[in-house]
Amino acid sequence: MNEKKYEIVAREPLYEGYFRADRWQVRHTTFRGGWSDVHGLEIFDRGHAACVLPWDPVSDEVVLVEQFRAAAIPTAKSPWLLEAIAGAMKPGEKPEEVARREAMEEAGLALNELRHVTSFLPSCGAVTEELHVFVAPVDAASAGGVHGLQDEHEDMKVHVLPFTEVLAMTEDGRIVAGNTIVAVYWLALHREEVREAWSRGR
Amino acid sequence: MTPRRHRIEAREAIWRGHFRADRITLRHETFAGHESAPLVLEVFDLGEAACVLPWDPASDRVLLIEQFRGAVAGITETPWLLETIAGDLGPGETPEGVARREAVEEAGLTIDRMIPAGAILPCPGAVATRVHAFIAPCDLSGAAGIHGLTEEGEDILVHVLSLEEALTMVDDGRIQASHATIPLLWLARHRERLLREAGGVAI
Repeated sequence: MNEKKYEIVAREPLYEGYFRADRWQVRHTTFRGGWSDVHGLEIFDRGHAACVLPWDPVSDEVVLVEQFRAAAIPTAKSPWLLEAIAGAMKPGEKPEEVARREAMEEAGLALNELRHVTSFLPSCGAVTEELHVFVAPVDAASAGGVHGLQDEHEDMKVHVLPFTEVLAMTEDGRIVAGNTIVAVYWLALHREEVREAWSRGR
Repeated sequence: MTPRRHRIEAREAIWRGHFRADRITLRHETFAGHESAPLVLEVFDLGEAACVLPWDPASDRVLLIEQFRGAVAGITETPWLLETIAGDLGPGETPEGVARREAVEEAGLTIDRMIPAGAILPCPGAVATRVHAFIAPCDLSGAAGIHGLTEEGEDILVHVLSLEEALTMVDDGRIQASHATIPLLWLARHRERLLREAGGVAI
């Protein structure tokens, strides 16, 4: 196959606020050969993020947080979603650092080991975000309560639930957040392998 | 007890184009039972979409499409991504209808049966969108080639690969699009059951 090439011909800001959106004019080489026409894309930039699903390999429970999500108002039965612990990456931050910080802020959990699951693109047609997914071994008995930073207007409730129930909730649509679905399905496939690796590491 | 009430106090349009962005001022009930301070949030609205992962039970292979995605240029190793067939829901369209139409447009594939594999909110912190995912058991022996509507600027290469290879690519980062990752993980979980239901197709 010929080498693939692309060119961002122009970038025009559409708005700049807490997030930003731009219109890009792009062209790229095509599979049939030659270059595409220049076409416009509206691109939303909300930065990158990391999330972590804390899992207790002994009790087989996971820790989720429940919070209000305005972007879920149009589509979800309730805009209070059950999700993995997640947060936005600040400039220069590593995904692992974000996962550890958010686990402390959102659930009062000090994480030790982190296992990288995958890094996915939530909405690659229009959003630049890359989201790094981790699972982490925890003692679920140490999690609970209402957390979140008041100055960031976070209002979160920690839930400790059996993994089998969380898996059922993911499959029947009570859990809908992409980051959480990825972590839960991955853990369902890799639970024994991860449990073994962690028990060897102790 | 989960809070139930929220109240949108103001909605300001900050962008109207192919997509839309709004600045919303709202209050919601808190877990402590009070009303929150007013929150000002930016929400980017992409509408709803549907995606479908065609899977050939006889060969245990799946169909993915490759296309250029400008939004992630400079972020991922390459902006040519492997994805499931997908499309936006127009007014009055059903997820199933969109999945069938896009399968023809993006892969030259006629889909018969579709199994729901969930509805995903890929980015609920800032993006109002929902993606309806399906698995379509079908014969992929003839699937190949370059597809897409040239009038829509689509340039799409069809790939047929083993489910196992696709799952390895999820693990090692060669597959990153949420609407590919999630249906592939779903299929990995349900593959054995679906094969049993199909009457023990040999692999």
